Amino acid sequence: MNKKISALLLAGVMILSLAACGSQGSASSSVDPSGETVGLTEAFAEAPILVTSGGQSADYQMVGTLMGKIGMDYKISNLATSADLGDAKTLIVVVGGSSKGLGAAGIDADGELARLEELIDGAKTAGLSVIAMHTGGEARRGDLSDKFIAPIFEKADYAIVVSAGDEDGLMSGICSGAGIPMDSIDSISKVATVLPAAFK
Amino acid sequence: MGKKNYISAALCLVVAIVIMVGTGKNFLAAREVPLPEKGPSVTEVKMLSDWFDGLKDTNGDTPVYVLKGEKEGGAALVLGGTHANEPSGYMSAFTFIETAVVEAGTVYVIPYTNHSAMTHNDPGEGNIQYFTIPTQSGERTFRFGSRATNPIDQWPDPDVYVHYPSNQQLSGSETRNINRAYPGRPDGNLTEKMAYGVAELIRTENVGITFDLHEASPEYPVINATVAHQNAMDIASEGCIELLLGGIDMALEQSPTNFHGLTHRELGDFTDTMAILMETANASQGRLRGASGVEQVIGGLDRFYEINEDLGMLYVPFDENGHPIEERCGRHLQGIYEYIAAYNNANPDDAIIYSGVPGYDELFLNADPATLGGAHLGSFLK
Repeated sequence: MNKKISALLLAGVMILSLAACGSQGSASSSVDPSGETVGLTEAFAEAPILVTSGGQSADYQMVGTLMGKIGMDYKISNLATSADLGDAKTLIVVVGGSSKGLGAAGIDADGELARLEELIDGAKTAGLSVIAMHTGGEARRGDLSDKFIAPIFEKADYAIVVSAGDEDGLMSGICSGAGIPMDSIDSISKVATVLPAAFK
Repeated sequence: MGKKNYISAALCLVVAIVIMVGTGKNFLAAREVPLPEKGPSVTEVKMLSDWFDGLKDTNGDTPVYVLKGEKEGGAALVLGGTHANEPSGYMSAFTFIETAVVEAGTVYVIPYTNHSAMTHNDPGEGNIQYFTIPTQSGERTFRFGSRATNPIDQWPDPDVYVHYPSNQQLSGSETRNINRAYPGRPDGNLTEKMAYGVAELIRTENVGITFDLHEASPEYPVINATVAHQNAMDIASEGCIELLLGGIDMALEQSPTNFHGLTHRELGDFTDTMAILMETANASQGRLRGASGVEQVIGGLDRFYEINEDLGMLYVPFDENGHPIEERCGRHLQGIYEYIAAYNNANPDDAIIYSGVPGYDELFLNADPATLGGAHLGSFLK
């Protein structure tokens, strides 16, 4: 009898565990995807520009390469803090989590989040414009990447998102809710078209 | 003992001998691995032992195809068959050797980086041993090997593999994985010697850029991806953007500094080369696949992966078209092209210029779907 009770209890705990797993996944899709985002209507940002990573994926380097190709002048630092802002007037944070990238940078996800919060708060205090970008599409979504999205996008003045990474409306929901202009593009290469329009 | 017992014993003995002869022949035949035909730019076929003689007369020695252009230029190295159960790696190397016309610089191609691993397979996985595809000269048969060095050549495995020189500890079986053995050492085990030979080639020939071609199971997170050493990230970023513009979904990752033994870490640290590794999706790997077969290996098909795609378990899209060998080789060969183009932009005096190698469009996008799964790839092979 005792064995039967134990087995039933164990089964109950397992079912509860599964339910707990399910609830975490549904949190990211609980954002109302019906919110309409508004694209950028006028230039607001100024050079000099500092580009950093938000999660240590290599997407920030690809954005930097694209900016270089179209002649935009920028500094790049994947581990920038507020002390590195210098004379920058715009901070671009390219969001995307990568466990390999975090390993390469010698930082864990919590440390990266703390760095970004300190950097963005410092930038806001110093009056910099903050542009959040998510260019890695679906491959840069999931538990690790999602951890960085809200803290960065909520504080941005403008957002650029590759639409394949926003099918659940997480980023468009944040932007529409906070009145942040956001442009959706179909591939990272379109950054070269929309980003210059943000600069005076 | 009665007469009947003698007859039964004799019959059992004969059956045992027949099985032994059959399996023995099969076992020994695995030591013969098919080699590429020489393409238009192959000027020399050397052996890895020419750079490190500690490999001479071992099963770790392997052919190195030298494709030298008429004009001076830089040097590139293509590593196929690091893992001999990842066929798009060595089939891309075959295709490059048999089709490339090198105009400037030198390209070194090693089709079987771990030659020993090509001489056995993983029977416990139910893996195939061979696959055959039609080519310009008729049907050609290729080997399907193992991820690790043949235990005939290196045995036993330690309980814990301690990487040299980092002292990183890994599972004992990884001691036979050449992509955990770099930079290698001249007095190490056979796998470490092979890795050392590759590093010596790079150092001696001043190889500016090195490609390591891999495949991964669809449920592995780092897939349809490029991993680059930090000194290659500028080039990798530029090449990756070109691949994305060309319609190839490619993620870029920087090599972690704390994961040792891999080409993208150690060849960048211990030589002057820019080390780049590429991964494609292989349906014959992974735990979520169905029974192993040729349709997985070169067709890239698996109905269980289709089910797992619906369940959200995979990191690459997987439908009834799968990921045929033409798509996987096309990704690798287009990747080599774009990353070398980016390398040339950064190093115009050491440019490596070649043509004639089919890329993603020719191998996959523009192919008749009915010919995918080996026949179309074979049409480019001699």
